Amino acid sequence: MGEIRNFRSGNTNEPPPHGGMPRRLAAIIVGDIASYSRLMQADEEGTHVRVKRIERDLIEPSIVEHHGNLVKTTGDGFIAIFDSPVEAVRCSIVIQQNLVGRNASIPRDSRIEYRIGVNLGDVIVEPDDIYGDGVNIATRIEGIAEPGQVYISGAIYEQIKHKVVCGYESLGDRKVKNITDPVRIYRVLPDADAVGRTRGRRENTLIFLLGITLLVIATGVLWYLLAQPEGRVGEQAATPTASPAASPIPQPSPREAATQTPQPSPSLASAPASPTPAPSQPTAAPVREPEMIAVRGGSFAMGSNDDPTERPVHQVTVKPFSIGKYPVTVQEWNECAAAKACGFTATGKDDAPITNVSWTDAQQYVAFLVQTTKKPYRLPSEAEWEHAARGGTSTKYWWGDKSQQGMAGCKDCGDAVAEQPAKVGSFKPNPFGLYDMGGAVDQWVEDCWHKSYQGAPNDGSAWSGGDCSSHVLRSGSWKNDLRYVRPSNRDGYDTNVRYPTHGFRVALSP
Amino acid sequence: MQILRCVALSAVLALLPGMAFSQGKAAPKDAKVYFITPYDGQRVRGGFLVRFGLRNMGVTHAGDDYQNAGHHHLLVDVNDPIDPKEPIPQDKSHLHFGAGQTETFLELPPGTHTLQLVLGDAKHYPFDPPVVSDKITVRVRQPVSARSK
Repeated sequence: MGEIRNFRSGNTNEPPPHGGMPRRLAAIIVGDIASYSRLMQADEEGTHVRVKRIERDLIEPSIVEHHGNLVKTTGDGFIAIFDSPVEAVRCSIVIQQNLVGRNASIPRDSRIEYRIGVNLGDVIVEPDDIYGDGVNIATRIEGIAEPGQVYISGAIYEQIKHKVVCGYESLGDRKVKNITDPVRIYRVLPDADAVGRTRGRRENTLIFLLGITLLVIATGVLWYLLAQPEGRVGEQAATPTASPAASPIPQPSPREAATQTPQPSPSLASAPASPTPAPSQPTAAPVREPEMIAVRGGSFAMGSNDDPTERPVHQVTVKPFSIGKYPVTVQEWNECAAAKACGFTATGKDDAPITNVSWTDAQQYVAFLVQTTKKPYRLPSEAEWEHAARGGTSTKYWWGDKSQQGMAGCKDCGDAVAEQPAKVGSFKPNPFGLYDMGGAVDQWVEDCWHKSYQGAPNDGSAWSGGDCSSHVLRSGSWKNDLRYVRPSNRDGYDTNVRYPTHGFRVALSP
Repeated sequence: MQILRCVALSAVLALLPGMAFSQGKAAPKDAKVYFITPYDGQRVRGGFLVRFGLRNMGVTHAGDDYQNAGHHHLLVDVNDPIDPKEPIPQDKSHLHFGAGQTETFLELPPGTHTLQLVLGDAKHYPFDPPVVSDKITVRVRQPVSARSK
């Protein structure tokens, strides 16, 4: 720890050998892993490796970036000192927020979470350790902190309250072990409503605009209600909240109507696997199942040489299965949301593909379908998706090797770039009768992401294992160019992250 | 029907004022995103580690709407300017790190490539003002095996 020398109380000359203790004022960060013993008991080596990695990749660089010095790491924690309380608190927040990201894909009980305490105090600095009341208090504050939180002392708070844009929750004066005077403690809330400088003109403008908007909406609604004939007003007033529920029931959706009209899909075994809910059967709440197309099993060459991720081309045999004729729509998704089985209610047209879903969201929808229909719905495997997308062809696109109008929804496929994806089924179906297999929306499949096919299964099953913090996306979206429309195109994306072009379609084992 | 129209009208009205502004959330003026490694002009062979530095803001998950926090996007060989009104694109040259990653192992074909970091908010929009790194250049050399042939 040669760097510590920089901090010795100003005398840059050789420090006194002993005696004349080098004291200085410093902001002290003490961090400690919550439930470290339990983690070690569960997986000693794994935990050790993970802790070391966090220290190397996150804690040490964060401290250096914020002009601090790591004094020492202990088995389950670390101590660092900073010249500036502001930098110390910022560093703590950065560490905690990074850990949130790192922990996201890990089961709750094996997450590594730090408690962090920050205090300002006069300390004795030695090459490999620091001593003093201030350190002890920092340690006690850290002990009080909740896992994943940063607690700071009153002394730090006074220094930073107008400088670091955060919320601070006062926890009052706390008596801490072996320290005579009670210590005032604050909890740092990185996500608090802005308390500091950013809450200025801009925010006030926004609030003002919001006010205006609400006023305009209120006026609009009032105007609508007053403009109606008397009887209708009463009718509306009777069912004011029924509007979301009312729309799916009465008339057949435009989507359903539309799907009847196009030419029946080619002779290929295209029996819709699921009868659409018959209106004659007054069951409680028939779930709108996605329309399915049966796909014959078979063998095909998966991959291409157009991109490193698609190599090597390998022969895969898939068993018969059914796959959604279209990507899952907003209407279908919202039934899941209405049943509180999916995380959010989507806005947008009923017959638009659902977007802004993570892989985890897609799995929630699948679980909802399984539960309500008692059928083994699932996401398609990557091999099944490509087999279905190729539709028996082995050309660059399912329709041939050249760009062609009206075949797919993509950025340079011929139509103007749209804000929203076109409604499902806006382009030509492929030889299997499937719509939007390429372009339209990116589609999650079951497989974990692997950056090439090296070691991929050849039985059409989903490839799990490896880096499952990302999963595979297929199809490309309306925002991507023609290269992404190729049936062999593939990409990986964080499992738990939503993005506005990501959707999915479902599959069903026979 | 009337109610639907009401709802539609309100939705449109609600959206109108929002359209006038760029979508991104406000970023502190002193926020800075930068490359810790590699440095501008660095020559590398094969894969290399790219580490993202961020000052005066925090890294969080995509989707988490914390004040002054965002997630990294690495732009590889992108020449188009960043559109503040659009989410940062997602494709093979716009790599997303929505799980809060602060580094990645990058493998690029031999040749000269540019790298640039852009911080995105919870909904992948750039901040306002955009928190963008300098665009750096790396030269990826032929792998050893290929050269010795």
